[in-house]
Amino acid sequence: MKKRGTILLENIIFIILNLVFLTILILFLFRQGSGAIVLEQSYAKNIALLVDSAKPITEMKLNMEDAMNLAEKNGVAREEIVKINGNVVTVKLSSKGGYQYSFFNSVDVTAYPDVSPEKNYIIKINGYK
Amino acid sequence: MNLINNKKGDKIISVYWFAILIIVAGGIFGMVYIFYGTPYDVREIEANILTNQVADCVSYAGRINANLISNSKVSQKTGEDFLKMCHLNFNSSEEKVGQYYVEVKFYNLSDLNNPILNIKAGNNNWLADCVIQEKQKQENLPQCIEKSFYSVDEKNNQYIIKILTAVGKSEKNVKL
Repeated sequence: MKKRGTILLENIIFIILNLVFLTILILFLFRQGSGAIVLEQSYAKNIALLVDSAKPITEMKLNMEDAMNLAEKNGVAREEIVKINGNVVTVKLSSKGGYQYSFFNSVDVTAYPDVSPEKNYIIKINGYK
Repeated sequence: MNLINNKKGDKIISVYWFAILIIVAGGIFGMVYIFYGTPYDVREIEANILTNQVADCVSYAGRINANLISNSKVSQKTGEDFLKMCHLNFNSSEEKVGQYYVEVKFYNLSDLNNPILNIKAGNNNWLADCVIQEKQKQENLPQCIEKSFYSVDEKNNQYIIKILTAVGKSEKNVKL
């Protein structure tokens, strides 16, 4: 009886460890695979470079379909995805954090989601500061 | 039946299976971490854009900016004045130290060794790193771009303009 109990305990520990391992692995893959961190960085740098190379009175339409779908899934409002404060672009696609990247062009910029098509974001360079 | 009832064998298979799991999971962790953990390095593009913006500012359509050289008269500019004139802002709330450096040198065609006007702006600590980068390119150091072009003033006096730009931002572009 005692020996059988040992075997059962070993099996339970083995199964628990397996489950813990697989759970961590799946969570890690889901977190990375959701792409929030990668997309945030990609769009923040993209927008910063666009602003850097732009001249005043320019309106740019950026297709952010994948980012907007992800933001919607993560409960982030469309208006909150791209924020420009001073000379720092912040892209937020999940409820936590966001990614910031600065630009050197001293311009007044506004960013807002397009009405139609809804998957575009408008980056408007109004003038020099 | 023997194989199933052999408890010693079961144990060996379990340990072996567990070891395989660790190796596979470790491999997946490693690959995913390396793939997604490496940031996009945009410093070279950024340095190129900065160089172009500065070039447009000091000489537009082949004519030198009259605020810098007018009728062969050179107007000395401080770094701050130059940044203001070219609508550049090197300060950022995101970074503690300046991440950009610009150096613009104007030469007379007759003397290419001594610049008649030398403008420096930004964090000059990056300059030393540009010298190192010339010898051997290192990713964790700032990315430097040097370009030169020809321009004329209002009286058609000819000048060579050399622009050196450096972009730091290693923390945001390189996995340190």
